[in-house]
Amino acid sequence: MSGLLPSLGRAVLDIVGVVGAIGVLFGRILSRLVRLDLDGRQTLASLYRMGVKSLPIVIVTALFTGGIMVVQAAPTVERYGVQSLLGWGAGFGTLREVGPLLTALMISGRVGANNTAELGTMVVTEQFDGLRALAIDPLSFLIVPRFIGIVTTLFLSTVFADVLALFGAAFAGWPLLGVEPGVFFDGVTGGLLGVPDVVHGLVKSVAFGIGMALASSHFGIATSGGAPGVGRAVNATVVTTASFIFVLDYLVSFAIR
Amino acid sequence: MIRLRSVVKSYERRVLSSLDLHVERGTLYGLVGPGAAGKSVVLKVIAGLVRPESGTVEVGETDVGRLDELGLAEHRKHVGMVFQNNALFDFMTVGENVAFPLRRLESLPEPEIQRRVTDRLARVGLPGFEARSPSGLSGGQKKRVAVARATVISAPVVLYDEPAAGLDPVSSQRLFDLLREEQRKAGNTVVMVSSDVDRLLTVTDRVGVMHEGRVVFEGSTDLARESDHPVVRQFLRGELEGPL
Repeated sequence: MSGLLPSLGRAVLDIVGVVGAIGVLFGRILSRLVRLDLDGRQTLASLYRMGVKSLPIVIVTALFTGGIMVVQAAPTVERYGVQSLLGWGAGFGTLREVGPLLTALMISGRVGANNTAELGTMVVTEQFDGLRALAIDPLSFLIVPRFIGIVTTLFLSTVFADVLALFGAAFAGWPLLGVEPGVFFDGVTGGLLGVPDVVHGLVKSVAFGIGMALASSHFGIATSGGAPGVGRAVNATVVTTASFIFVLDYLVSFAIR
Repeated sequence: MIRLRSVVKSYERRVLSSLDLHVERGTLYGLVGPGAAGKSVVLKVIAGLVRPESGTVEVGETDVGRLDELGLAEHRKHVGMVFQNNALFDFMTVGENVAFPLRRLESLPEPEIQRRVTDRLARVGLPGFEARSPSGLSGGQKKRVAVARATVISAPVVLYDEPAAGLDPVSSQRLFDLLREEQRKAGNTVVMVSSDVDRLLTVTDRVGVMHEGRVVFEGSTDLARESDHPVVRQFLRGELEGPL
C-alpha cells in the first residue's frame, strides 16, 4: 500500500505532463495554421502518403464492418420480422459510431504509429536540428503538414467508410435475410436517419483526427534514446491514441446527442 | 571571428563550465577532447541551436545570446553545419538535400539551383548522385552529401561535428583534405570537431583541447603537439597514464 500511492501519483503526474505538452503543441500548431505558416509540398505529400495509401485498408474494414453489423442483427430482425428496419439499424450504428470508430482505430495503426516512427527517427538522427540549422521551423515544415494530413485523412476516410459500410451491409442483408438493397436503402433514407446522424459521426472523426495527430506528433518529437527510444515512442502513441479515441468518442456522444 | 566567453550550459549535468573560445576569422580550427567533453554542444551554441545559461557568444558582429527566435533563424542562415549523424533528410533525394538550402534561403532560378547542385556533388566526388536516396549510400558518401549541403551556400562560418566518424583511414584523410581545400577556397571560418585527432591535425591551423566543459589548451597545431599540458599530452599521444 505504501508503494501504491507514490506510483499512482507518478502515473497521474506523467499523464498530466503529456496532456499539458500536447496542449502546448496544439497551440503552437494553431498559431501556424492561422498564419498559414506551413510547407505546401510537405502538406500534399502527407495527404497522399496518409490518405491515398490508406484507401485499401479503409475499403476492406468498411465493407466487412457493414457485413458484420447485418450478421449480428440477423437473428433479431428475423425473430421480429422487421426487415424494413434493417437499413435504419445498420445506418444508425454505422454513421454515428462504428464507421468513425473503426476507421480511426485502423488509421491510428497505419498512419499514427508511422508518423511517430518517422518523426522519432528524424529526431534521433538530428534531422530536426538539421532543419533548424537551415533556419527552418520544423513545426511549420513537418508537423503542421502532418496534422493537416491526419485530420483530413480521417475525415475523408470516415465519409468513404460510411458509404462503403452501408453498401457492405446492404449486400450482406440480401443473401442472409432476403432484404433487397432497394428496401435496405429505403430504410436508410426513409426519415428515421437524418443529417444530424451523419454530422455526429463526422464530428467524431475530426476529434479523433486531432487527437491522433497531436499524440503521434508529440511522442515523435519527444523521442530520445536512439532506436529503442523510437520503439517506445510508437508504443506510447498507439496506447495514447486509442485512449484518446474512446474518451473523445464518449465526450462527443455525450455533447451531441 | 567567433568568441565565446564564460559560457555555461547544463543538461542533467554541467556540460560547459565557463568555457572560453576564440577562433580568428578565416581559420580552420580543430576542437578535440575526450568523449562527453562538450564539443558538440559548443558547435550547437555557435550555430544558435542551443542557448547557454550564461556567458556571451559572438559570431562576427552578432551577439548570438541576445537574439530572439527570428534573429536566431537569421543567424543560422549564415552558418553551415554538418552533424555527427549527417542529418540528411531521408524523405528527399541526394539532389533535393543539397538543393534544399538554395531553395529555402536564396531566390535562385531552378536551372541555377540544378547547376550548383551538380557542381557541388561533383566537387565532393559524387557526380551523378542527384536521384539517389540517402538511405542507399555508404557512410562516407552520406558524409560527403552532408558536406555538399553545408557548403552549397557560401556561409561565412561552417561547423563540422565528427565529419570522419565511421570512415576508414583513407576515406577519412580524403575527406579532411577535401574540407581543407573547401575552406581555403571559400576563405571562411571553420570549426571542426573530430575524434580522429591524427588526421584532423594534418589540416587545422589552430587547435583547442576541451576537458570537462572547458578549453584547457588553445594554440597552433604545432604547439599542441609539443604541449606539456597533462591533458593535452595524454589525449594527443594516446597515453594510458594521466589525468584522463
